Amino acid sequence: MKPFDYFSPKTLNEACSLLRNSGEGARILAGGTDVLVELRKPSAHLPKSIIDISRIAALKGITESGDSIIIGALTTHDEVHRSELIAKYAPLLRSAVSMIGSPQIRNRGTIGGNIMNAAACADTVPPLMTLNARLKLNSSLGEREIALTDFFVKPYVTIAHPDEILSEIHFHKLSLALRSSFVKLGRRNALSIARLSVAVVLKVGGKGIIEEARIVPGAAFPIWQRVREAEVVLVGQKLSRDIFVEAGKKVSEIMISYTGRRWSTEYKEPVIAVLVRRALEQCIDKEKKA
Amino acid sequence: MKTIAIKVTINKKQQQLVIKPNLTLLDLLREELGLTGTKCGCEIGECGACTVLLNGQAVNSCLVLAPQVDGQEIVTVEGLAVGNLLTPLQDSFLDHDAVHCGFCTPGMLMSAQGLLDHSLDPTESDVRTAISGNLCRCSGYQQIVDAIKDTKVSVNDTNKARIHTEKRT
Amino acid sequence: MASKLKIIGKSERRVDSWGKVTGRAKFADDYNVGHQLIGKVLRSKHPHAKIVRIDTSKARALPGIQAVLTAVDIPGSKVFGIVEKNQAILAEDRVRYLGDGVALIAATTKEIAEEALSLIDIEYELLPVVSDPEEALKPGSPIIHGNKNEFVHHKVRKGDIAKGFTEADFVLERKFKTQFIEHSYIEPEAVLAEPNEQDGVKITGSVQNLFSSRRSVAAALNLPLNKVQIVQATLGGSFGGKDEAMTSMCCRAALLALKTGKPVKMVNTREESMLESYKRHPYVLYYKWGAKKDGSITAMEARIIADGGAYASMSQFVTWRSVVQATGPYYCDNVKTDVYAAYTNNNYTGAMRGFGSPQVNFAIESMMDELAEKVGVSPLDIRLKNGFEKGAVTATGQKLNHVVSLKEVLTKAAEAIDFKKKWKSYRRSQVGEKKHGVGLACSYRGVSLGAEGADAAETIVSVQTDGSVIVSSGVTDMGQGAQTQMSQIVAEVLGTSMDRIQFLNTNTSRVADSGPTVASRGTIMGGSAAKNAAEQVRKTLLAVGSSMLNVKGSKLDLRNNYLVNLKNGRRLASFSELATECFNKGKPMIGLGWHKSLKTTWDEERGQGEAYFTFVYGANAAEVEVDTETGKVDVKDFASVHDVGKAINRAMVVGQMCGGVAMGLGYGLLEEFEFERGVPKQLNFDEYLIPTSMDVPRIKTIIVENEDATGPFGAKSVGEPTNEIAAPAIVNAIFNATGKRIYEIPANLERVLLGHKLVRHDKRGSEKKDAIDAMLIDSCKIRGEKQ
Repeated sequence: MKPFDYFSPKTLNEACSLLRNSGEGARILAGGTDVLVELRKPSAHLPKSIIDISRIAALKGITESGDSIIIGALTTHDEVHRSELIAKYAPLLRSAVSMIGSPQIRNRGTIGGNIMNAAACADTVPPLMTLNARLKLNSSLGEREIALTDFFVKPYVTIAHPDEILSEIHFHKLSLALRSSFVKLGRRNALSIARLSVAVVLKVGGKGIIEEARIVPGAAFPIWQRVREAEVVLVGQKLSRDIFVEAGKKVSEIMISYTGRRWSTEYKEPVIAVLVRRALEQCIDKEKKA
Repeated sequence: MKTIAIKVTINKKQQQLVIKPNLTLLDLLREELGLTGTKCGCEIGECGACTVLLNGQAVNSCLVLAPQVDGQEIVTVEGLAVGNLLTPLQDSFLDHDAVHCGFCTPGMLMSAQGLLDHSLDPTESDVRTAISGNLCRCSGYQQIVDAIKDTKVSVNDTNKARIHTEKRT
Repeated sequence: MASKLKIIGKSERRVDSWGKVTGRAKFADDYNVGHQLIGKVLRSKHPHAKIVRIDTSKARALPGIQAVLTAVDIPGSKVFGIVEKNQAILAEDRVRYLGDGVALIAATTKEIAEEALSLIDIEYELLPVVSDPEEALKPGSPIIHGNKNEFVHHKVRKGDIAKGFTEADFVLERKFKTQFIEHSYIEPEAVLAEPNEQDGVKITGSVQNLFSSRRSVAAALNLPLNKVQIVQATLGGSFGGKDEAMTSMCCRAALLALKTGKPVKMVNTREESMLESYKRHPYVLYYKWGAKKDGSITAMEARIIADGGAYASMSQFVTWRSVVQATGPYYCDNVKTDVYAAYTNNNYTGAMRGFGSPQVNFAIESMMDELAEKVGVSPLDIRLKNGFEKGAVTATGQKLNHVVSLKEVLTKAAEAIDFKKKWKSYRRSQVGEKKHGVGLACSYRGVSLGAEGADAAETIVSVQTDGSVIVSSGVTDMGQGAQTQMSQIVAEVLGTSMDRIQFLNTNTSRVADSGPTVASRGTIMGGSAAKNAAEQVRKTLLAVGSSMLNVKGSKLDLRNNYLVNLKNGRRLASFSELATECFNKGKPMIGLGWHKSLKTTWDEERGQGEAYFTFVYGANAAEVEVDTETGKVDVKDFASVHDVGKAINRAMVVGQMCGGVAMGLGYGLLEEFEFERGVPKQLNFDEYLIPTSMDVPRIKTIIVENEDATGPFGAKSVGEPTNEIAAPAIVNAIFNATGKRIYEIPANLERVLLGHKLVRHDKRGSEKKDAIDAMLIDSCKIRGEKQ
């Protein structure tokens, strides 16, 4: 590992001013599960300084505030998984974090890091996007809020300025009327990266009519997005396998309109449609079981 | 690059160290402290050979920057047995022939201890999940799973039980 | 000797496991000495190129650098190799694959060594790359060595193949493909080389084949063999992989140590390990069988091309096992098999658990299922119909005179997963997207080296004056438990408890060259030598006891750490008293056990002979669940049945079975080391996927014991057979579930869903963040997503 200066601020303000003073040569360190992998690469753009924010207590933990859930950016995947609030108000997020990497990774990796790293296969992003999550970014100049849907530019690139720190993620509780699910396909059953994933939130009215749908695939689009074209297919329709299949096909079609036909399209085209259908089916199955 | 001073408890012993910040916890243990029981297999958190307990939780020590452990508590494989007295988990590994080449063993033991510290009677599925970040190429995992599952604090063996309890508290 | 075995067959604790659970076991990278330097290798930038110029001046000028060496600095032989000496310790004028070393650095720290690597300037002249073995055999292909790329051609000829096809009612013709496999020992390669007091070198390292590494080091340094001492550190897995990959590392570290006069430590990162180390051979297999309507086989023809990669390594031997076993344990009078190995610019390929059998077994066992399908019988019945029995004559003309337990193991494997019933029911259409299937595979396997080469081993047993025992052997332990097995054999013969035995790690200066611990020969060779050594000591001890007590030696026995009356077991003296007496009487308390295997014969031209002195038989049965909408396959149930002759240690046999199946599961479903024009795509465990604890099901292990006269206490072997039939059992199960056959492994998501592999075209090394967005979606595989 190449030499660097190391700082470990205890407060967000301290971290922000350190970041501002260090300029672009600084790298934020949280759980370390991605940053340390980068640091050992001989050819990577090596930071001059590491700002270890892992001691900022204010950025940890999950709280509720009225209708909202607030997750501190330093909350680990394991903490998200064990949270009763998440189990109750964002079960699909719980399901997503339970599939990340390995227990060791889940014990260290943070939800903030997962978002800031911005890999196309990040497991927490699709569920958070279906929850209409918003992010709070802090810098020495102040703070701002942004919708997760507006946050990503392309894989590994976000709109966050170099001097900004992600401090929290918040979203409205999923009401009991909303059903949700997350499905992930990996090559292995552990230590697995999403080949494809899908998060879905569904609101079903009295007569089995879909009133609202939110669909966000993972590892499929150049940047994450709700696939409104497919959501439209569902809204106003009665629950049925056929309509789920149709929504899946729509997602697949829209995906290709963005990515074009590439080496992996032959596989992803049918499979993303299947995963969308399954995610939708799971929403309903859960309802049946409950 | 400035060196930094850290205080860390390793295997119940508090230590004050002055270190370069560009070390992983794995480097610190193996190269600076001579605790070579923790193994280095991939350095990217994919094999689990370097697993240690950090504040009671299993982590890949290759993915922890050494200064991050300031004020924290670490247990490595060397911290399990007391003298020559093995813990029930270690004993169970020997009884079930769960040790083949032995290179994944320290990491496996730490992941398993992390589980047993929180769950006294884990199911097979709990055990498989707990070691799912530890690759083993020799055993096919079965004897390791059985060893962990069958780790019991024997009522007859009060001595071992006592040590085990101490470890957990 | 006692008629009833006390220790053999028991699940004794491993002799080396205490150190391994306490963290005290010392693996190669755990050895450190004061003032050691760090050695690093600069490897090639291109899969195939001429080296025009090497400029090391900038690296030499770096403070902290103690040596920068290139091929010209090697005093002796610059190349090594077990069959063909054509592999460079450091490439001199040409690089043939990306793993080739070009220069060496010794520095005071790892950081300085790494910086120095980046300061070495090498000018290359690119040569055309060949990355496909079939392309490599075509005229006009770039030539890697000598004047042609074909460097091995083995054949087997039996009967009249044309006549066989004429007699057939139908012909099955299929093409199969297997992949490169990385051994994936969790311990990366490491050595510590120290200059000796008397101008030699001592190397402590993760070396599997100590004696061949020693030969190469001695040749490179112009030293006699007695000046090169290689000590095996506790080995963190090998599976055949720590042979030549360690030889090159030993040579390099020794060069640096002698050049600098200081100890030099070399440790590969995982990326360096995967980049340089050899792999299991990928095969292209063309199979053509003629058969009758009743399912009997009239002709078996196979043409097989192995990718040998950049160097000869063990290809000669690996492919020889393939040619001998290419038609499986099945009767057929007319056989024609040709196996070729070709040089390419890929990683060289060599020994890996299975050693040429996993590839052919995938083809044979797939063919056998196709044959069953064609004639309308079950996969079990077709095997029972065609399978060998005692007295059968193999494709190489060898008559099998031992117990041939093929049908026994097959039947047991089938029963263990309720194969018959399930196979029928799963063939009918199943509801839902997730479909189940069951599959079978079986094999026979020649034990030990066979006609591959000289086959002998030494084990030394030495009793101390206090009655404790030291055992050492030229056969090495890689984690499979050889030390424990040999200790059990010694304890059994000497009538001592296991805790009396101390096993020493192998040291080339202290035991005789015992050949390589390969070919599942540890038990049969090292174990037989151990038995032989212990019997010598026993004889001495009984003679001493006889004169001490004035009782006939034939009336005495050694049991439970005592000299006893053979008949009534009455204790006459303790083992330690006996040992002291032995010492006082000046009797030799050491046994030098030597075992040479039985004669084997081979006629290379006709491809006929007594290839192996005995064979083992095994069968696997798998149940899978196939997600027919995504191609994901999960193994739900698995039975592994092997006739091991005699299980010396039951728990260890079970361990070999489970481990072998897990590795076979990876072979069948997950693992693939891929190249694009000689550039590997996977260099760490984030991309090269081996099974986790969540991917391997609970395995039903059934040990069959038909004792064999050739092995100690009737034992044969178990290490490799357990790994060679899991993949075809799984692939056959996929067929039962889906009706679709997989002809190329691994049966990953894409192959199962689409029937073929997808090839990524983007280039490695391009800066991912600057590449087009769409490409980045797939690059998750590389970057990971964890934080």
